[in-house]
Amino acid sequence: MLRYLGKRALTYLVMIFLTTTAGYFLAVSSLKPALLEQEKIPRPTPEQVANSLRLLGLDPNLSPWERYVQWLGGIVTRWDWGRSPNGAYVNAEFADRVMISTRLFIASIILTLIIGVALGVYSAARQYKFQDRAITSYSYLVYILPAPIAYFLVQLGAIGINDAVGERIFFVTGISTPGIEPGWPAFVDLMAHYAVPTFAMTVFGWAGYQIAQRQYLLDNVNADFVRTARAKGLTRYQAITRHALRVSFIPVAQTIAFAVPAIFTGGFFAETIFAWPGAGLWSIDAIGKQDVNVATAMLAYGSVIFAIGAILADFATTLVDPRVRVQ
Amino acid sequence: MTNLTDTVVEIDEAKAADVVIGKGRIIFRRFMRNKTAVTGLAVFLALFAFSLFGGFLTSWDKDTIDPLNIGMGPSPEHLLGTSQAGIDLLALVVEGTRVSILIGLIVGGLSVLISAIYGCTMAFFGGKVDSVMLFILEALIMMPAILVVAVATSGGGQSLKELPSWLLLTAVLLFFSWMGTARLVRSLAMSLMQRDYVKAAKYMGVPSMTIVRRHLVPNIGSLLVLDFTRGITGAILAEVAFSYIGIGIKLPDVSLGVLIGGATGQVSSFPWMFWVPLTVMFLLTGSLAMMNDGLRDAFDPSSTSIGRARTTKTLNAKKKNK
Repeated sequence: MLRYLGKRALTYLVMIFLTTTAGYFLAVSSLKPALLEQEKIPRPTPEQVANSLRLLGLDPNLSPWERYVQWLGGIVTRWDWGRSPNGAYVNAEFADRVMISTRLFIASIILTLIIGVALGVYSAARQYKFQDRAITSYSYLVYILPAPIAYFLVQLGAIGINDAVGERIFFVTGISTPGIEPGWPAFVDLMAHYAVPTFAMTVFGWAGYQIAQRQYLLDNVNADFVRTARAKGLTRYQAITRHALRVSFIPVAQTIAFAVPAIFTGGFFAETIFAWPGAGLWSIDAIGKQDVNVATAMLAYGSVIFAIGAILADFATTLVDPRVRVQ
Repeated sequence: MTNLTDTVVEIDEAKAADVVIGKGRIIFRRFMRNKTAVTGLAVFLALFAFSLFGGFLTSWDKDTIDPLNIGMGPSPEHLLGTSQAGIDLLALVVEGTRVSILIGLIVGGLSVLISAIYGCTMAFFGGKVDSVMLFILEALIMMPAILVVAVATSGGGQSLKELPSWLLLTAVLLFFSWMGTARLVRSLAMSLMQRDYVKAAKYMGVPSMTIVRRHLVPNIGSLLVLDFTRGITGAILAEVAFSYIGIGIKLPDVSLGVLIGGATGQVSSFPWMFWVPLTVMFLLTGSLAMMNDGLRDAFDPSSTSIGRARTTKTLNAKKKNK
């Protein structure tokens, strides 16, 4: 088990190193912070710009390879992921941003998984009945709606409710109101900010799980071992929950294990639309400001989270499927 | 050999009443019998024609400003109204639809081609080649594509700026779109490689490329066709999503995502600017999804969800006899 884990981890480490390196070279050759600096007032001379960037370790006059060596050296020797063009340290800001993302996503991802799987089982048990058709058509509708537009439509709905009631119940952007007094008002304020994004991400998130769970369960409902169970005298409900559901949950468990680490990366679309200053919005903003180091750090972080998800997915399979053993 | 063909011909003559229909025609007929899928196809073709010839519906083009009608609702002069800058919305939507369909077709088509070639190569050679190619594939899956899109399209560097932004986005989307299918093709092709007829062809000395073309590709053909329509939808949705949050396509290039994203700020004062391109996008992705559904049923011989042809009674009877 440990040997298998070590082997997988080593392969993923090599992969992460390669993707991060490729990402760094792409970022360093395409993002040019010096161009943005020149828009400042009063306009700095090119020498001043180069000098200030050089002090941050972002010297634009070095070749990409020299900068790569300098950047990699910083990470290997000091675990220093570099600085932004505005002087902020990537390391210092990173943890805060990830925490903010996690706070937003943890509730909605858990809700999405539970509702999605439950609805999948429910619709499969009532195949081609009205409930199944309604639930599954909704999931297909979500599939052709891009996430940011879906979130925007929810925002419009929340604003509509606010207007109809005549006072601000929901906040459609942001994370909290500045200067709110602690205690009960702060809690209400928190809920008012969380409600809309959590609702939007849950409602538009479960479709994939619902369709997958429904499909896998339907694949198994007519299998021989389920028929045997019915023949032995179990009710249809017992046969489905005790026999068909267990098998059909295996691939879904794998997907869930994959999705859980994503709580910590947040989402680029949701954070941008709801102006939630987590890791996703941070990196999109930073790239707009031609920030090489933040872009690369997020790329590396995304790859690490993916690798953790992939390894967890393997373990989830061995956990729920007794036929599979790790070497 | 000659004996075999003789008997086959005899059987065919004996059963002359049973008309043999080619596989392609069966699939085509099954598809055409599905009303939803045909509606999807018709809507898609109508939108395609609109994107090519819709410009004739208006005398304005997307670069001309009408100073007398700035931010006006639909009127006889401007059928869909004008933007805040006074540009005819119909001209913009025609251009945006064309760009979106173009991105979809390029990304969908090429990514299917790449994944088929890549997956078949992995399965065919196996061993070292397979593990190296799988390593590259998994490394690509690992990269968060949206960050690469953002870096590539918002860079101030000179090298990438010479391409128009929609072409740049197409290239990046294509680069990150083929891996999933390639892995699926690989596993399918690997199981095909174990079949007797492929082994027989190998031992008979049939050239590798001929085996791939004759035996592997036709057997994964339905997967590839389905992936083509799915790829078009995926690329159109990705374009809209990326352009909407400000990465991806940028002005002065126009696409459905740029139009929708640009209109969200003033959705209450200029509602037509938001709802018109959004409706077009819905029609586009919805029609593709309907076609995809119909194609999947047409390819699946056991599917009963699209009704039956008149001859299926006899076919079913035969199946039962087996």
